[in-house]
Amino acid sequence: MKKWISLIGCMSMLVVAATVTAQDFGDFSSQTLTGKAWEAYGNGDLELALKYTAKCKEMFLEDAKKQQKEQAALEVKPTGEAIHEFWALNDVGTCLYIEGQVKEKQEKIKEALAAYKILVEELSLSQCWDEKGWFWKPADAANGRIKQLEFDAMLD
Amino acid sequence: MMSFYKPLFAAGPSEWEGTTVEITGDAESGFQLLKNGKPYVIKGGGGTHYFDVMAANGGNTVRTWGVGKDTRDLLDRAHANGISVTVGLWLGHERHHFNYSDPDQLAGQRAAVEAAVKQFRNHPALLSWGLGNEMEGIQSRGDSPVIWKEVNHLARMIKELDPNHPVMTVVANVNPDKVQAVMDYAPDVDILGVNAYAGAQNIGKNLKAYGWKKPYAVTEYGLPGPWEVAHTSWDAPIEPTSREKAGFYYVATKGILEDTRQCLGAYAFVWGNKQEATASWFGMFLPTGEKTPRVDAVAKAWTGEWPANRAPILKETVMPMANQKVKGGRNFAVLAQYKDADGDTLTYAWEVVEESTDRRTGGDAEAAPEKVAHAVKALDGEGNALLTTPRKPGAYRLFVTVKDGKGSGCMDNWPFYVE
Repeated sequence: MKKWISLIGCMSMLVVAATVTAQDFGDFSSQTLTGKAWEAYGNGDLELALKYTAKCKEMFLEDAKKQQKEQAALEVKPTGEAIHEFWALNDVGTCLYIEGQVKEKQEKIKEALAAYKILVEELSLSQCWDEKGWFWKPADAANGRIKQLEFDAMLD
Repeated sequence: MMSFYKPLFAAGPSEWEGTTVEITGDAESGFQLLKNGKPYVIKGGGGTHYFDVMAANGGNTVRTWGVGKDTRDLLDRAHANGISVTVGLWLGHERHHFNYSDPDQLAGQRAAVEAAVKQFRNHPALLSWGLGNEMEGIQSRGDSPVIWKEVNHLARMIKELDPNHPVMTVVANVNPDKVQAVMDYAPDVDILGVNAYAGAQNIGKNLKAYGWKKPYAVTEYGLPGPWEVAHTSWDAPIEPTSREKAGFYYVATKGILEDTRQCLGAYAFVWGNKQEATASWFGMFLPTGEKTPRVDAVAKAWTGEWPANRAPILKETVMPMANQKVKGGRNFAVLAQYKDADGDTLTYAWEVVEESTDRRTGGDAEAAPEKVAHAVKALDGEGNALLTTPRKPGAYRLFVTVKDGKGSGCMDNWPFYVE
């Protein structure tokens, strides 16, 4: 029996070690956390993606809200490189979108809607760089998803 | 294309009272379209039929692309159903060899536009003029000064002939250069109409970002086009399901109409049926005339209410050959189960069709592909069927058409390839 206990213990430690490795927050920057969230989501590791989005929100949500207010007060909205100056807003907004997508995949629709609504109502100016060469607005995408989920609910 | 311009008579009947349509407000306070002095939001579709269905479901406007021998009848039918019409005035496309630097071609086009405006300016169904459709070029930046100067010449002419209806010009989506060119060279245009598919609900934000300060309308919208979706390994576009399509229309309609400041409304595409990539991609009605879930979705977005009779909609599928390469002469048990909110008894009709090879750009007319006889057999009345793949190698689609017998229906398809 002792052998089994110790084997189970070792396995648990291995699992813990693997989990720790999986939850590598890197330099803890919002950019790193968002990039890792996208990557985990793309790999289908939904729980891991949520860990990164949660950490990003925990660390940078207040900064993001401040940046939303700052940008809203600007007469001329930022374009090009200047968009990156609103790093917390952009990354936390993107993380909320990823969170909504994850929750949809997990069929936790109320939680998906909650994430999308925070994004639309509080971080509507966030932007996300697409590698194809342009910025897109997670809040616009979230707005579409909210309506889609509303429609799906009416069909079922 | 020039056949659009032949007038039937020089001017409309004198008994037509005509309408007065105007735009008030500005980009800051918000624009308002007024028809005979009353606020009017365009809840429309692009098409020439099914006006009774539109009226019954909260719609109020159709849009056409050109004037022809059927225009008088169309306007009369629309008016009889309480539907207004944005009358399209077709302008030549360079891809059809129209040359905006050729004075003779321009003179012919101007004469045709003038004749059409004189003919229909007093028709009571007329809401606005739709000057051209994507004539700036669908694959260019759309900023050619020579085209936009001509559009402005025509817009000014129309307003002199008919001061009672606004002039809208229609472009294929927007980019900063195109919007700037319209502002620089076509200042007499009142409304910018934008045809947009994926992301139609964001057009207003884009226009604002590009400096557009006049009103706009979304003149075609619906679901992502065949050029915007994933393709199979043999390059066949994978069509969204009927359920997904209904969702696209609902989301886009709601999203577009949320902009109550600058947007005057929108026209869903296509309020009818057309072959474009497939028989079911863009049509909001079946080829036999039944309304599909897309009409229901738009109606729900327009009014907040579902139509009295709902169309069946896809619920569940088992399609093992979908998007796959398979052997010829093989049997596949397939299932496409539909839900009817009214509990109507549904009929299922299956067919296999060759993949379309007559693919064109810009919505130009396409020929329907050949059907394959005896390739699929319904096993029951609940969506089970047996597909026997054709022996001839090539690309195909399995179609199912489902009807409720009360004017509503639905069509879906799944591509497959016989090696």
